[in-house]
Parts: sequence; C-alpha cells; structure tokens
Amino acid sequence: MNALPDRYATDELVLRDPGDGRSLAQRLSKRYAARITGAFVVPGRDGSYAPLPDDLPPALAQALRSRGIDQLYSHQAEAWKATQAGAHVAIVTPTASGKSLCYTLPVITAAMTNHAKALYLFPTKALAQDQVAELLELNQAGALGVKAFTFDGDTPGDARQAIRLHGDIVVSNPDMLHQAILPHHTKWAQFFENLRYVVIDEVHTYRGVFGSHVANVIRRLKRVCAFYGVTPQFILCSATIGNPQEHAEALIEDAVTAVTESGAPTGDKHVLLWNPPVVNPDLGLRASARSQTNRIARLAIKSGMKTLVFAQSRTMVEVLTKYLKDVFDHDPRKPPRIRAYRGGYLPKERRAAEREMRAGTIDGIVSTSALELGVDIGSLDVVVLNGYPGSVAGTWQRFGRAGRRQQSSLGVLVASSDPLDQYLVRHPEFFQGATPEHARIQPDQPLILLDHIRCAAFELPFIGDEMFGTEVATPWLDLLGEEGVMHREGDRWEWIADSYPAIAVSLRSVADGNFVVVDRTNGRQTIIAEVDYSAAAVTLYEGAIHMIQSTPYQVERLDWEGRKAYVTRTTVDYYTDAIDYTKLKVLDCFDSSHAGCGHAHHGEVHVVRRVPGYKKIRFYSHENIGYGPVNLPDQELHTTAVWWQLPQAVLESAFEQRQQALDGFLGAANALHLVATVAVMAEARDLQKSVGSGDGAWFVSADISGRGQLRGSDGQPTALAADAPFTPTVYLYDAFPGGIGHSEPLFQRREDLIAQSVSLIERCDCRAGCPACVGPILAADEQAGDNVADTTPKALALRVLALLVAL
Amino acid sequence: MKHAPAALPSSDRDVSGIEIAAGLRYTEVIVDWLTPPPIIDAAFARMEPVHHDRLLHFDTETTGLAGGTGTRAFMIGAADWIDGRFRIRQLTITSMAAETAMLRTFAGWLDHDTVLVSYNGKCYDAPLLATRYRLARLPNPLLGLGHLDLLHPVRRHWKHQWENCRLATAERQLLGVVREDDLPGAEAPAAWLTYLRGGSARNLRRVAQHNAQDLKSLAGVLVHMAMMEGELVTSVTATQ
Repeated sequence: MNALPDRYATDELVLRDPGDGRSLAQRLSKRYAARITGAFVVPGRDGSYAPLPDDLPPALAQALRSRGIDQLYSHQAEAWKATQAGAHVAIVTPTASGKSLCYTLPVITAAMTNHAKALYLFPTKALAQDQVAELLELNQAGALGVKAFTFDGDTPGDARQAIRLHGDIVVSNPDMLHQAILPHHTKWAQFFENLRYVVIDEVHTYRGVFGSHVANVIRRLKRVCAFYGVTPQFILCSATIGNPQEHAEALIEDAVTAVTESGAPTGDKHVLLWNPPVVNPDLGLRASARSQTNRIARLAIKSGMKTLVFAQSRTMVEVLTKYLKDVFDHDPRKPPRIRAYRGGYLPKERRAAEREMRAGTIDGIVSTSALELGVDIGSLDVVVLNGYPGSVAGTWQRFGRAGRRQQSSLGVLVASSDPLDQYLVRHPEFFQGATPEHARIQPDQPLILLDHIRCAAFELPFIGDEMFGTEVATPWLDLLGEEGVMHREGDRWEWIADSYPAIAVSLRSVADGNFVVVDRTNGRQTIIAEVDYSAAAVTLYEGAIHMIQSTPYQVERLDWEGRKAYVTRTTVDYYTDAIDYTKLKVLDCFDSSHAGCGHAHHGEVHVVRRVPGYKKIRFYSHENIGYGPVNLPDQELHTTAVWWQLPQAVLESAFEQRQQALDGFLGAANALHLVATVAVMAEARDLQKSVGSGDGAWFVSADISGRGQLRGSDGQPTALAADAPFTPTVYLYDAFPGGIGHSEPLFQRREDLIAQSVSLIERCDCRAGCPACVGPILAADEQAGDNVADTTPKALALRVLALLVAL
Repeated sequence: MKHAPAALPSSDRDVSGIEIAAGLRYTEVIVDWLTPPPIIDAAFARMEPVHHDRLLHFDTETTGLAGGTGTRAFMIGAADWIDGRFRIRQLTITSMAAETAMLRTFAGWLDHDTVLVSYNGKCYDAPLLATRYRLARLPNPLLGLGHLDLLHPVRRHWKHQWENCRLATAERQLLGVVREDDLPGAEAPAAWLTYLRGGSARNLRRVAQHNAQDLKSLAGVLVHMAMMEGELVTSVTATQ
C-alpha cells in the first residue's frame, strides 16, 4: 500500500526539530482532518507531594532515597495513611502514577517490623515477574532482607517448598491461588498464619464470568485465612472505570477506602481518534487500521519521538514490526531501532528489550497488551493503538504509557473495521467525560457458586450453618451430598470423593471449553486456531470454509465431544455462512416498565440455538450458490435477558408492512447490542442479541440481503397469517447458563441504551445502514434513491427506536 | 447432576478390633515374622545403622490419590519388632469425627528416636498425615523423625530388571510372597465409603488384611536389602 506519493506526503510532515506530542498532533490534525473523529487534550498538572511518612522504617526510607525517592505523591501518602489505619484500600489512579508504591510501602514495612507476609495477585505471569524484579531492586538498595518470589505454573517443584516457607511476598495469579495454593493450604500454613496483606492489581479485569469466579476464589481465601486465625487487609488497584469502589467492594465483599486523586505530575496528553479513510464508498470499506498505524508510527519515529505501538495479536505485532524495520533497520551494521515485545518471547529477550528502551537506544517498540502496565521501559512520547483494546479503561491504560513530566505526549487510537471500533471512534465523549464502563460481577451465579463451594469443601469442612459469601451453604452441600462427593456427619460436611475439584474449574473460560482447529493439509497435524465454544457451531460445522488470516480452510470433520475441528487448505471462490437460529422464550419476568409506546422487561428466558445448515456464497458477487446441511446438537440454556416490545397497534400505525417492522427490529437489535456491550464492559461472547416474537412462536434472522426473514419454531422460513398476533421483541441475553448479571444493569440503564442507539445510528456516516450501526446490508440498499430513504434499514431501525424512546 | 451409587444397607457391619474411642477401632496381632539382625545396616538407603527396636513400619489407607486437603486416611497400620516378634497394630475410623482420636493415638506410638519405614511414604503417607494433623490443629509427630523410604533404594537396584517397582512386585521377587484374595489398593476408598454409608464391612476387613500384608512385606524388603548390602560390602572387602 505504501505507494510513493503517499510516502512523500507523510515525510513532509516529519518534524525537523525533535517534536513533542502537541506539535505532532497539530500536524496530523491539519493534514488528515477527515480521518480524525475526535481530538482533545487532557491537560497536564503539577505534582502534588507529601514527605516520606515518619512511621516508615528508617532502612526503607533510606532505600527509597537511594533510589531517588525523597518524597511521595499525595495519593501514595493517602494510601499509606489508610492502610496504617487498617482499612481495605482501593487505588484508582492512571498508569505510571507510581501505583505500586502504594502497596509496596505497607507490605515491606509489615515484613520488616512483624515478619508479616503478603500475597500479590496479578492477572498475568508477566506482570508478576516485573513486580518481583522491582521489589528485589528496592530490597537490594536498602539491604532490607525482604524476600519476594513469583509462584506460578513455571515455578519448579523444588523451589516451591522454599517459597512457601521463606517468602515474605509471594506474587502469583488468581488461577494459581485457586488450583495450587488453596487446595494445599496446609503446606502454606506458616504463610497463612502470618498473612497480613493481599494485594490485587488490575481489578477492573476481574469482571463478568472471570470476575465472578475470582470473587469466589477470594471468598475461599478468606475462609482459609479464618482457619489460620488471620483477617488480612486487602489493597486493590484499578484502572479508571465508572465504579471502581463499588467493584472493589463487590470483589472482596467488604468496605474499602478509595484513593482516586493522583498526585503524579504529567505533561499535557493529546489524544486523536483516527478512522481510516473510506476506500470503497459503495461497500463502505475502509483502509486497514494496520496501514494507518504504520504510517503514524513511522512519522512519529522520524520526528524523533519514542513510540510504542499496541497491536491486538501476536501476528499483528510481527507484521507491524517488519514494516517499521523495513524503514528504520535496513542497515544491519547499525544497532536496531525497532523492537517487538510480546508474550511467547523468552524472559531474557524481553528484559533486553526493556533495558534498551530505558537506555533510549530503541526508538520504536511494537507490543501486545504485555506492555500495558507495570513494566518499566522509561518515558515515551507517542502511543499508537492498532485497534480498540476492548474497553475505554484499557485504552487509557495504554495511552498512559506515553508521557513525560515536562513535555506533551500523544495517543492515537486507530479504529479497525470491527463494529465496536467504529462505534467507539465516533464517540469521543466516551473518552472525555465520565467513563461509560461499569465492571459487574455476579458471584452468586448458581453454576459458579456451586463450583466454588465444591472447591471450598475440599479445602475445609463446612460446619453448621456456615455462610459462603452471602448465602448459607447448606442447600448446596445437600446437592453435593446427593452427588456423592460430600458426606454429612452431625453438623459437619466433609469432602469424601477421590478427586481434586479445582482442576475441573477454570476461572477464565465459560463452562464448555474452546475448540481447537487442526490443520491436516498434506498430513500435517498442526493447531492453527482456537475458537470459542459459543462460536464453534456457526463457524466450524463440517463443510464450513474457515478463514484464518484470509487463507481459506475447509472443515472436514468436527469432533464435537473432543472439541476439535480438522481442516485442510483449500482454494474455493466462495465462503460459507451458517444459518443460525436463536429462539427465545420468556419464562419469568422480574421487572417491567414503560418504554415510549412499548415496554421494557427484565427476566429469565430459555434460549435454543440451532444451526440447521449453511449457505455457500460466492466472493464479490455474493450469489448464493448452494446449501449444505449441518447436524449439530441444539444448544440450550436458561439465562437472563432484557427485552423491548411494541404493541401490535402501535406497529401497525407506524409501518405499512410487517416486513418493515421486522427489518427495523433487526437493525435496532444490532445497535442496542453494540451500545450495551460497552455499557457493561461485556466480552463479546458473554452478551448476545436476538429478535423474535414474545412467546417463542417465531423469530427473525437476517437473510443474505440483510433483511429480516421470519422463521417458524422449526427454523424454516415462514409467513404469518394476516390475523396472527404480531409482537416483535428485541432481546439482549447473557450467553452463560443462569446469566452472569448483565441484564439487570442493562434494564436499569434501558432509557440510556435506547437514546445511545438512536444517536449511534443517526450519527453513522453510512447512507442506508452498515455493520457499524444496523448490521450488514445489500449494496443495492446503499445505492437506492432518495425516494426510499424512509425505508432503508437505517431509517426503519430509527423508527423502531423512536417508538421506544422515553416519552 | 451425577448421583452417588447408593450403598445397600447391610447386616454385615463388623469391623475388626475393639473400639478404643468413639468411632475408632484398634487391632493388634503379634506374629513370628523374620529374624531381623539387631542392627539393621541401612547403608543401602544412605542412612546410619539402626537397632531394629527403633523401627516403625507404617502404611496408610486413604480416600484417594488426588492429594491436597480433601484426601484423608481412614486406616493407619504400623508394625514393629517387640522382643523379636512382629507386632502389627491397626487403627480404623468408622466415623469422620474419630479422625482426631486416630491421629492422637498414632502420635503416641512415635518416640523422638523412632525411625519410620515405608514404601513411598516420604512422598505420599507422611505429607498426607502432615496435612491431616494440621487440619486437626495437632502438632505433626512425624516431623524430624528418621524415615527409611524403601521405594527409592528398590528402584535404584531393580528398575531395569523388574516390570515395575511396586511393593507387590518387590515382595514377590524378593520374598516369594503371593497374595490370595487380595483387595487391590485402588478399591480401598470405595470399601470404606460403602461401610461409612451403611453398607457391608466385608471389603473394609479385606483392606485391613491388605494393609497388614503390606507391613509384613515392608519389613521383609527392609531385612532383605540390609542383608544384601552387608554381603555386598563383605564381598567388596574380601576382594580388596
């Protein structure tokens, strides 16, 4: 894509003097005004300081001074005061604001004065290792005698014993706590007897299914601590989300003191939201994010600015690194200026990259989320995000990587063609005002709760009417008794089975496990991809063309039980599209309210998902050239949902034909789903949408033209009798058995969701509808004349939503 | 939801031994078994010679092999030489609540200079008991005791000659013991659970027999290896 004229144009923009964020932002805004959908400045501020606390052990104060720390930022001092007063503390300050000192000070102090122990939990191994490296440096600086170790899956067996006995600070992750530490807590007895602090960093990542699991692991941790007679203090850290304190309190089920005002000084931070230019107006195709990211990074590096590029996948890291190396590292005699950094590299390589960044010999680094936090790589000027990281909080964490005290920095978010990216990049206000994101967990979700009561029972017997979290455990124990894994004697419930339940419970995946895609081309046996359980039925059926990095593979055999799909390379001129029916039936309505001329509800639903077949669709022409059957089990689940309905009379006066109303509901569902995903920080697979009748009699799926096709309960296309009741309904449901707590908050925010969906569609650049608002539509619709402007998918969706807007 | 196999109520509820505490059964038999030398040469296990009076052979029967805090011992067998005869003592719990009494009783059998003899006990039985003592909030009486785990020396000697180095193989190869009607170790957990749920005690009694035979074999293998090592040392000395 790097045609010469384009390169010339970018080179013109290169800043002659070493640039800063402000000047680069200005030049980019001027040259590429049409691509920039939002530009704003987060003003810098002076630091706010406090002296080192008097009650700090002298040796620790000395160690800090020798590391150049003569005073604290105000939030560090605030956190110190709160921890010394015995409170649980939640620290919510930006990246690179010296968050870790907030917990390092109380933890090291307690270790030095009382031989107290601390447990650190980080979501990833890499973060844990960096934390330990930092602790060791401080320890060395002051000869403090505090021992810190990582304890994770890579820790060798012979080292484990020493860590259990001698570690003052053990740095691990929730999975290890769940599977290795708690079920063997007696081996950790000395550690637990002296446990004073539990530090949990990155708590905003513990949300949804994962967060609900982690909350239960914390319940088990507290239960084991109680056995050893300790009640540790929790110190939690979070990125900026809408409800940090509430979320921290939900995780540990106790009151926390929140520290939210950062005292760290920063320069101005310039932010640009960047949408790649439209290259095919007919199809609404945009240039790739990759090409744009590459261009911005190249320009920044040529302007003498230290630049960090974040990519979403390891492959993309390699691709972008190659492009930048082609420009900057073509002379092999010179030391490299560009580096890649990602998981999968050896720790040695990663340490080397960090050192070189700190020393300033590297000008550009391309990374996955591995560099998002913690890791010290010195000061940076520019951060470019190749694609939206999935949350506003994550975006800020990555932008936070750039910034020097005196100088302005620049962060650029380059949107991909993903609908969520397109939605976010058109809403600069999400990044300016109060963040729209609220982390939610549902620790009492029955399946998750039962899993953890099972694990807890293995760890210690339940006695009497013991509570687990907020519930009395007895009914659950009865259930486990029936299953034969527990035995009741008097008022004690004891684990009796020959099994290790924590092994069967994964904190990170939904119940049913991922599918692996195995390439068997020419006798190979290589795993080339993993697919979520929820997506497997619509992408891995036998006969499916499965695209990986735009290379087509055909699925030859699907081993549903074994969670494997066997594929071979192929060269066909078509792709396949599953016919996917989701049928919902309302079982119980918990709450209802008026929504414009209709109603919004929240309750329990029964979902049946079926894939009866697939279509073969020719590339470019989009002709339907065939059909294949699929023979897969129905996926059924009971879950919770929020849904909106309009009365038949309202629809009949607002729409000439029922078809139009169906199209409108489909488009509205698409927009609502996007908006809701952001609102509850849902993983895409955890929240799903559907359109159907209120009673499960029929449902609607998008046909090949993007228009609604009515289907009966058997999945076959059907038509409604003219006198049949007609109450289309749009559902958003939790794609997890029993629900995971998204639908209640969505119901609370129902008016907001409708309003945001309206604005999403109204403000979309497309003419008649596109994947970023109402979903994919036919090119013919796009090109239709003005005479049908009020019946485009976009217009119809707006008409439905207008009827649901609060009066 | 899976359901537990219901234990059939049984009239055969007879667990051997006398009840020395609520839910705790005790058996003791004294048999003629081997004639150990007074001083056992433990060089084969890289340990100092030890008088056979100090040896306590032990073996637990447990609810499973999963490990961790959810696995317990329901039977502890221990054997020693008293005046040249072999004394086999066994503790069996018939209720969960009796575990503490069992752990205390076993602790009373150990002296500060006791040397434990086991087969894989260093990796299995001793850590498991350590966990149980901890959960019962009792001091761990095994801590600091000498421990002769025969599995490792047996492996060193015969790994390449036998199909495996299980105790059953060692006793057949070295002592010529062939068990009849032996309950496989893997069925022990079910035998105890069946009894606990009101079912027949028959298999639980077979577990006790199995455990007693393990203790005898343990002593047999020990004596065999100690003597063998002696011969080896003698022959080496002779050639020099």
